[in-house]
Amino acid sequence: MFKLLDGPQTLGRGWTFWSCFLAVLAAALIYPVFADSYDVGNFSYFLIWVFMALGLCLMWGYGGMLSFGQTFFFGISGYAYGVLAINMGGGSTTIAALMLSVIIAMIAAGILGYFMIWGGISGIFFGIVTLSATLVLAFFLGQTAGPEWHIGTARLNGFNGMKGMDPLTIGDFYIEGSALYYVMVALIVIVYIALRMLVNSRIGNVIVATRENPQRAEMLGYDVRKYQLLTFVIGSGLAGLSGALYTSWGQFITPSSIGLPAAAMPIVWVAFSGRSDLTATLVGSFLLLFGFQTITVYSQQAALVLMGTLLLATVMLAPQGFVLGVGKLVVDRWTGRRRRDANSTLADTGRLQSDEA
Amino acid sequence: MQSRHLLRTAVLGVALGAAAFGAAQAAEPPLKVGLLEDVSGDLAFMGMPKLHGSQLAVEEINKSGGILGRQIELIHLDPQGDNARYQEFARRLLSRDKVDVLIGGITSASREAVRPIIDRTTTPYFYTNQYEGGVCDASMISMGAVPEQQFSTLIPWMVEKFGKKVYVIAADYNFGQISAEWNRKIMKDLGGEVVGEEFIPLGVSQFAQTIQNIQKAKPDWLLTINVGAAQDSFFEQAAAAKLNLPMGSSIKVMLGFEHKRFKPPALNNMHATANWFEEIDTPEANDFKKRWHAKFPDELYINDMGYNAYNALYMYKALVEKGKSTKLEDMRKVIATGEACIDAPEGKVCIDPKSQHTSHRMRLISVGPQHEVTVVKDYGTIKPYWLGDIGCDLTKKNDKDQYTPSHLPNKS
Amino acid sequence: MSAELFSVFYQFADVFAFLILSAAGLAIVFGMMGVINMAHGEFIMCGAYVTVGLVKLGVPLAIAQGLAAVTAGLIGVAVEYLIVRRLYKRPLDSLLATWGLSLIVTQSMLLIVGSSVTGIGTPEGSFAIGGYTFSTYRLVLFACAVAVLIGLYVIFMKTRFGVMARATMQNAAMAKALGARTGRIYAISFGIGAGLAGLCGALYAPTMTLIPTMGATFVVESFVTVVVGGANVLLGTAPAAVFLAMIRMALNASYGQIIGQIGMLFAVILIIRVLPEGLSSVLVRRGR
Repeated sequence: MFKLLDGPQTLGRGWTFWSCFLAVLAAALIYPVFADSYDVGNFSYFLIWVFMALGLCLMWGYGGMLSFGQTFFFGISGYAYGVLAINMGGGSTTIAALMLSVIIAMIAAGILGYFMIWGGISGIFFGIVTLSATLVLAFFLGQTAGPEWHIGTARLNGFNGMKGMDPLTIGDFYIEGSALYYVMVALIVIVYIALRMLVNSRIGNVIVATRENPQRAEMLGYDVRKYQLLTFVIGSGLAGLSGALYTSWGQFITPSSIGLPAAAMPIVWVAFSGRSDLTATLVGSFLLLFGFQTITVYSQQAALVLMGTLLLATVMLAPQGFVLGVGKLVVDRWTGRRRRDANSTLADTGRLQSDEA
Repeated sequence: MQSRHLLRTAVLGVALGAAAFGAAQAAEPPLKVGLLEDVSGDLAFMGMPKLHGSQLAVEEINKSGGILGRQIELIHLDPQGDNARYQEFARRLLSRDKVDVLIGGITSASREAVRPIIDRTTTPYFYTNQYEGGVCDASMISMGAVPEQQFSTLIPWMVEKFGKKVYVIAADYNFGQISAEWNRKIMKDLGGEVVGEEFIPLGVSQFAQTIQNIQKAKPDWLLTINVGAAQDSFFEQAAAAKLNLPMGSSIKVMLGFEHKRFKPPALNNMHATANWFEEIDTPEANDFKKRWHAKFPDELYINDMGYNAYNALYMYKALVEKGKSTKLEDMRKVIATGEACIDAPEGKVCIDPKSQHTSHRMRLISVGPQHEVTVVKDYGTIKPYWLGDIGCDLTKKNDKDQYTPSHLPNKS
Repeated sequence: MSAELFSVFYQFADVFAFLILSAAGLAIVFGMMGVINMAHGEFIMCGAYVTVGLVKLGVPLAIAQGLAAVTAGLIGVAVEYLIVRRLYKRPLDSLLATWGLSLIVTQSMLLIVGSSVTGIGTPEGSFAIGGYTFSTYRLVLFACAVAVLIGLYVIFMKTRFGVMARATMQNAAMAKALGARTGRIYAISFGIGAGLAGLCGALYAPTMTLIPTMGATFVVESFVTVVVGGANVLLGTAPAAVFLAMIRMALNASYGQIIGQIGMLFAVILIIRVLPEGLSSVLVRRGR
């Protein structure tokens, strides 16, 4: 099992990395003891979005499929959670609503993925089809304001958004504040470890091989379409998880969480962090969400300018993504004497793992 | 954060000054007012006047001794038109800054984003826009005009003046659809006919087809409840195609100041009812305009939202001072008496105890060929009666719901 | 009857012009050069603002529009030189960089110019057929769209620059070895693309509300048109625009704008499903 965790497709291995990992995890676990309740809640809010980023990282960075429609699944699942939670009556059934809504998002991903992947759609066309589907959903939901648009007792309520669902609840206990925080941290750790094992497994190798050269992978006897579909469904399921958690967090979801510019955000997070690695995406997305919010709070009208500058500077100065760029710098310093030659060739290729794998 | 910093310094200065005269007063911490207004993104041109209105009111109130002797600290965050940011920042203001009152939001979606959060606290929330109406929620006080104040004045006048056939173009979301529903209901009562209704997705900017549909339907007048900068292009394109129909609206002129932004005669023959527009010519209104333009000389137009945002702080002051408390329940006790009134630049306005919406002095204006605005009719004070009539009574029961003519409370 | 027929043509021409003018610049920058330019809308916005600014200074509208397109083109060359040039090997990173650029530009415009600008009004001129009146300027837009298509064809198919540009886009190393100055060709092509975007903004400026985020209303349509057009941009964009314009016009007329918008996006999904390489793949195969 440890071999899967420390495999060739992910950065960071050995005792150094895992002790750092455990240290960060420990710090995260004792954080609520010291921080004020607002910060704890705010951190769990950021973690909600990280699932969508990890899913996109899997599809785009590992599978080579740039989906511009992660918010499609985010929205389906977010609305599904609302509909289910309202109709099933809240309370502990919200847990079931959460699971069901992720499954619904995965079924939707299965259908759309089958439609696209078996149709031979790839590259930028993949992005445009997913974006179109996303915009269709957003436009459709935007005009469902009338009372005739309802599922059971849940009104879709158009652009103003659906509300009135319970947050995640066990018995009479709302999972909020520190409780929500610990649930989020646990989920992130589980998803992160599971994805790491997935990409380092035999399946992961085929996924990466397909990204590099689909024909060659096919010649080796793999039905690459199945692997692509699997990647798409898992990645979209994670977007769905984000969506359901978001609805539960705010007891509210609107079509603008689906349409542009929301649809562009996951791509920005992942591209900023460094799409070719899960750890980088995890750390980078969190930092970027935190950074953007902080900038917005403290700089008023200049916020968007600063955000734009941050993105532009990242692309120009750290071609592999911010976190990967910084991470590599640190690692290079650390092991600089031993691996200087290997590193310089690696930096030139611009790709991280493909050459080694 | 400059404004916040400046305010803090001002607070400090006043507090120190007060300390020199009487130490008791200086010990009072300032009242914290949380403000959420979009000053970047698509809605910035509407959000800026709202921020300005709040800043002006805070400055005036602080100069004249604050609320119950306490100064006001205004904490403004910019949600950039993003509903998720509205939720983040509402939580931040409530649990980090621990504000005494929350004000703001432009779109109905942003208000609905804030409501589930505010409903679980005991902090009052002021929504300062005119909107589609119907929110029955004890935590929320609505300062803007609602359909029964705007449409029940505008539509009969338009029918009488121009004829019984109306064509509606409306933005395809809650506000547009509910406004169209109001129009249908009122037209039916008047024996008029809705010859066409067209719902336009937000962000659409091309209207050649719409203009032709209108010409085909041959209405006597148009009801234009299109929303947003992109949809406003309709006026320019209709003028270029010589559509030349009288228009009525509940949102044009006083909100988006289209008559200032378009070249005449695009807005010619537009009629609207509102509680405020800059062209009101009374001593109170003129005095208010003078103070505003002295503080913000670059303001193109003092719009209705900015005006309501200004009033919100004075209404808050009145409620707190009458109830001698900043608690929501004490403020609501004042509202329940029906005596929660202020003398606003438009005239006297009061909060209706049943719905917690505000009564307004409604006026009807017409735009001329050179975009000159004239007040045609003064309706006097009109109460927000509809919610109370259909059974919303916040003095007895907190529904936390939004009603429309086709979604009424269950009579139990 | 003839009035109805003309009105159908007029509506088609209107949607077609909108699609072609908003997509032409992107067809070069994204279709040919492969740069995912998220700041396309901001070049459009730039064209519109420059036009309005010049008209207010007393420059005649047509000249102002030409100057606006040139300004946008020059800014495009500068952007290519400073940013895009370094990203040709990393096309997906150009997405992030141009998105950052678009955030900076829209917000800076808001801070510098203010949240809205007074319009300049559509040029006078309307005519009536049957019970309908039409704006003449809309037909001017259609004529401009056709002129842009012809101009692009001539530049890229009939001139020496065009041949070298197409060679460079196909295989930059080879073209360079044969003596083409690829760096310059990239810069000029990007400049043309940005200039066309500016032209779009300039032409639509009199008919629209000017706000810093106005470019966003064009972006989805332009990307969709270029992608449906497919790999061979010069062949594909025009038929794609015709096709999408017909679908949208028909649905707009019978079911209203929301169905028009949803229907057009559905059509895009279906076309790409049937023709994963876009419309031009069929045309090229037929041509061989």
